[in-house]
Amino acid sequence: MKQFLTYLFSLVALTLALLYCCDFLYTQVYINATPRNKLQYIIETENENFDVVFLGSSRVANHIDTELFENLSNKKTINLGVEGAGLNDNLLQLKLLIAKNTVKTIYLQIDTNFESENPSNIVISEAMPFISNPIVKNHVKKYFNNFNKLTYIPFYRYAINDPKIGFREFFLSLINKKPRIAPSNGFAPKFGNRTPLRGHNLPITIKQENSVLNEFIEICKKNEIQLLLYTSPYCSSTNNLNYFEKLTLKIPGLINYSKGFNDTLFFNCGHLNNKGAQEFTNLLYITTKNKLISDAKK
Amino acid sequence: MLFNSIDFALFLPIVFLLYWFVTNKSLKLQNLLLVAASYLFYGWWDWRFLFLILFSTLVDYTVGIALSKEKEKNKRLVLIWISILVNLGLLGFFKYYNFFLDNFTTAFSFFGRDINSSSLNIILPVGISFYTFQTLSYTIDVYKGKLTPTKDFVAFSAFVSFFPQLVAGPIERATNLLPQITSKRVFNPSEAKDGLYLILWGLFKKIVIADSCAVYVNEIFSNYEQMNSLTLLLGAVYFAFQIYGDFSGYSDIAIGTSKLFGVHLMRNFNFPYFSRDIAEFWRKWHISLSTWFRDYLYIPLGGSKVSKLINLRNIFIIFLVSGFWHGANWTFIVWGGLHALYFIPLSLTNRNRKNLNIVSQGKMIPSFRELYSMLLTFFLVLIGWIFFRADSVAIAFDYIQKLFAFNFKSGFQYLSTERYAPELMILIIGFIIVEWSAREKEHPFFGKWIHLKIIATLVSIILLGVYSNVTDFIYFQF
Repeated sequence: MKQFLTYLFSLVALTLALLYCCDFLYTQVYINATPRNKLQYIIETENENFDVVFLGSSRVANHIDTELFENLSNKKTINLGVEGAGLNDNLLQLKLLIAKNTVKTIYLQIDTNFESENPSNIVISEAMPFISNPIVKNHVKKYFNNFNKLTYIPFYRYAINDPKIGFREFFLSLINKKPRIAPSNGFAPKFGNRTPLRGHNLPITIKQENSVLNEFIEICKKNEIQLLLYTSPYCSSTNNLNYFEKLTLKIPGLINYSKGFNDTLFFNCGHLNNKGAQEFTNLLYITTKNKLISDAKK
Repeated sequence: MLFNSIDFALFLPIVFLLYWFVTNKSLKLQNLLLVAASYLFYGWWDWRFLFLILFSTLVDYTVGIALSKEKEKNKRLVLIWISILVNLGLLGFFKYYNFFLDNFTTAFSFFGRDINSSSLNIILPVGISFYTFQTLSYTIDVYKGKLTPTKDFVAFSAFVSFFPQLVAGPIERATNLLPQITSKRVFNPSEAKDGLYLILWGLFKKIVIADSCAVYVNEIFSNYEQMNSLTLLLGAVYFAFQIYGDFSGYSDIAIGTSKLFGVHLMRNFNFPYFSRDIAEFWRKWHISLSTWFRDYLYIPLGGSKVSKLINLRNIFIIFLVSGFWHGANWTFIVWGGLHALYFIPLSLTNRNRKNLNIVSQGKMIPSFRELYSMLLTFFLVLIGWIFFRADSVAIAFDYIQKLFAFNFKSGFQYLSTERYAPELMILIIGFIIVEWSAREKEHPFFGKWIHLKIIATLVSIILLGVYSNVTDFIYFQF
């Protein structure tokens, strides 16, 4: 029995040692690799002056043609929309972005993401290699109840986030493979039109308030960043589109573009295609350019 | 409690230490610990169904004792039928009630008569098909005089609820497991070490192979209408490895865990994908179930020692019942029927016991003929798995039709999980090579490279395992 228990303990010790080694290896690769996602890009960017930053979900990543907006406005622009990201994720992006860079104007996309204050697990999983970064650490501590496991159990943070930062992504980072969408631009256009468009069901009721959005607004005020809140278009078969009227009452100044776009400009009901994205970027610039100019005069 | 969970990783060492260091002086205490641990293990999932196991245990224990006292043939027959009806009645109610109700309703409406029926919201108790068959084997063996019934209720309870194999087998025979429970176990370090290796290999099969395949399989089967033939073929291949990794992985962990407690369970899988014909496949796949059906259904029906026609009937019965055992869906019945069709030509030509030896024994690579036979058998099994995995028979046929449409447009397809369908192939090929090299043993941990193999397996489990979406073992639903 003694011999067996010794063998068993040596196996456990070996497993722990391997977990530490793998954790160390993954962290080093992610920290030193060329950024393959937008959060990595934000963390590794220093001393940049961004005139315009777009934040939100895929409805930003697919809708804002960064190059077009930059040409129209003549301002340094970046699209940091991430598929599946919620307001909580955008808040982390903002905190990390302004820690080492300056930002003049932020366009924040608001839609049904107003209903949630929780992190989406998408952006946060990409932040896991950087958990020792004080901003990431504080954010995770505040919003995740498995903070201790994530911080102190070796490799746990990588294991539970394997679809985003597992072996496949580790390997691609190790060989410095370029991502499909360059994070420094961030526009991820969709092509085609999935007809017939299946309409979204928007919420019937609306949340009283969103504390994450309030915190976002506070940080922007404190850092003298102009914040423009807007809603992207939905296709005509969307149900309960009056949700945005209620949302406009909750958020004064919200620019509502939810209606009015032709269905041929959509890839699917919640996402514009490339042509739609160009029209929307154009419209967004035209309707908000005065604010950008006044910002420039400051 | 899942084998691949933190809960089990804490539960197992605690029970192990209590078993060998605290209760080792008394067999009764050890068995009591096994029952308590098993009930905790099962109750972790849903404590309410513990009453069902307890009820089944009480009925079969009482029937066993009564059978030993009763000499009159008719009364003995009544007793055995009580056991069969109670056990199969519970199984039938929890597993098949809604299926029969739906089919009767559909049949009546087909003949123009609408009947009102309301299906019940029944939760299927995990492992009911497994422990029901296990306890049935006890009463049937006692009835046939093959086994002396035990008077020790604690030992009998431990036999019914033995946690390593309670929820997904192997379905043990009372003649094998009960004598081990009623006699003193001695700790054997080399057996225990072997148990650890089996647990490690089982975890690899489940977490790395099965769960990785599951990601792709779910994606491909859910969107099969948009997939080309190559991707559909890969979807079927991945499901073949998912179900093998999942179920044989579970069995390995169960057998390995039992070894830690000095209990030997029967082997449940013996590298079935290296079979040269369907008969060999069924001698190597879910062995505890196929031999159960052979001993308690096929042979009582006359087996093969009857006319060709009756033999054909028997083959169909055993395969259809086996299919139906897996679940209340026509897909499983068609799956069973398909295997019966595969098996019949071998049986009719007396070639069903042709391949009893290990394939390419002592050789590194198989002969061309062996390779051809293995690939053909695997292909036949693959077609069967499509029925097994599909949500309905119609979908399965549609899937197969698209598979044989030979539409290779756009090559392998990009999946919304941000993966390309062939990426997993490298892992599967590596897995096949390791399994092939270990086919004369129970697991790959042997020889002079054993330590390196252990490290490689541990690293693979850490790096390649799927942890974001911990899935139940597929056979839990059966």
